[in-house]
Amino acid sequence: MSNRIDVALTINGRLHNLNVRPDLTLAETLRDELNLTGTKIGCDDSNCGVCTVLLDGMAVKSCAMLVGQADGREITTIEGLETGDGLHPLQQAFIDYFAVQCGFCTPGMILTAKAILDENPKATEEDIREGLHGNLCRCTGYVQIVEAIESVRDGKYGEARA
Amino acid sequence: MRFEKYFVPETRQECFALLEQYGDKAKVLAGGTDVIQLLKSGALKPEAVIDIRKVEGISETKITDQGLALGAMVRLRELSLNEALATDYPVIMEAAGHVSSMQIRSMATIGGNVCNASPSADAVQGLILMNATAVIESAGGNREIPIAQFFTGPGKTVLKKGELLVGFTIPKPSARTGAFYEKFSIRGDTDITIVGAGASVTLAEDGTVSGAVVSLASVAPTPLRMDAVEKMLVGKKLTPELIDQAAQAASKSVAPITDQRASAGYRVEMVYVWTKSALTKALERAIA
Ligand SMILES: Cc1cc2nc3c(=O)[nH]c(=O)nc-3n(C[C@H](O)[C@H](O)[C@H](O)COP(=O)(O)OP(=O)(O)OC[C@H]3O[C@@H](n4cnc5c(N)ncnc54)[C@H](O)[C@@H]3O)c2cc1C
Ligand code: FES
Ligand code: FES
Repeated sequence: MSNRIDVALTINGRLHNLNVRPDLTLAETLRDELNLTGTKIGCDDSNCGVCTVLLDGMAVKSCAMLVGQADGREITTIEGLETGDGLHPLQQAFIDYFAVQCGFCTPGMILTAKAILDENPKATEEDIREGLHGNLCRCTGYVQIVEAIESVRDGKYGEARA
Repeated sequence: MRFEKYFVPETRQECFALLEQYGDKAKVLAGGTDVIQLLKSGALKPEAVIDIRKVEGISETKITDQGLALGAMVRLRELSLNEALATDYPVIMEAAGHVSSMQIRSMATIGGNVCNASPSADAVQGLILMNATAVIESAGGNREIPIAQFFTGPGKTVLKKGELLVGFTIPKPSARTGAFYEKFSIRGDTDITIVGAGASVTLAEDGTVSGAVVSLASVAPTPLRMDAVEKMLVGKKLTPELIDQAAQAASKSVAPITDQRASAGYRVEMVYVWTKSALTKALERAIA
């Protein structure tokens, strides 16, 4: 039995004080301890990107991170994007542009896209493709995903692009 | 994945005390991108994990007139985007930027890339090309070692029990220095380097080479600095013919292995191609 550790995670704006085993990944903690199953686990070896969350605004792979590494930090998961006004522009754009087929890669894609546009609101197609390098989609072929992100960049969903 | 204890020391003394206390039963974790996979697969079964992200004074990037001081915990993404490095140290930025994806670079550290001691490590190549010195500390004091001598085998380094890599010092390059690192892989930067080749050249006022570094990734048990090839260049004018001869010499002197990514023969050929390219681009930068 491992010694448990205390961690304070601010997830989607809400503080969670947890007492957990140190040998959990952040992905396991989100899914199994907090029931935030929007964060997926695919390869579980940091290649596919479906477990991407934002850590203090940066895209990271939550399967490649121990829960203790996230202590004291702010995490955004896919559940945190929707507001009272409805879906986040990126979520709506992914639907409108058919950037979703099976949907398994979508949470990671959208959060990575948010990190790309937050950092560089003028990201070119090339910047977007480079930013998505760590996210695999086995269904769509990426074209619609890039188009959806470009439409948000271009203000099609209003100024609140991030 | 199974381990019992997780420590986040904040002072170096605390960290050294833990390293001393747990010895082989502890594993240092920086960004964790390599360590966590090994913990998951069971290849590593430590009792304690020591997360060094809060250890004082190892996360800074300092630029002075003498050169650059990089903390071991500096994240690769921070390094690859730090425009303050663009004038004198672009190859450090570029090599760090060749490590996998944005998500991995946001976590992975320069110290981790070095201590993981993979022959294919990309960020390491920037340090070799810029003549970096590794600064190692333990409860007993500190020592420094040129980066190219840090590696003793795949996954093996000169670090001894109780020692922590705290950072790197990199001398400010002389005028007319240019450096370039080429990563060759199938799926771009997310993929492991099949062959990497880097070159740095410094030109004297008369245009002859006054200093050169040639380095290779993924063709030997460790990252490789090619001293003999460097000697061929110093004191001469770097003509296309000389670049070709140097690339041939580099290619002839390596003995890579065959693995699932490429055959040994292919790697030998590619060392010629990419060394030639790296030297040509380094020269262009030295002249610019
Ligand atoms: C999907 C994926 C793709 C990758 N692609 C690439 C790539 O293209 N190119 C590349 O070069 N690498 C690649 N890597 C490897 C990895 O990301 C890098 O080696 C990274 O820089 C390691 O840094 P870290 O901080 O995550 O190290 P960690 O995993 O935390 O540590 C690595 C090793 O170094 C030791 N260590 C770390 N810091 C110190 C210190 N300060 N003192 C003493 N020991 C220390 C640890 O104990 C461990 O043995 C990839 C990894 C993944 C998961
Ligand atoms: S599950 Fe994390 S990258 Fe695939
Ligand atoms: S929509 Fe199926 S993996 Fe991307």
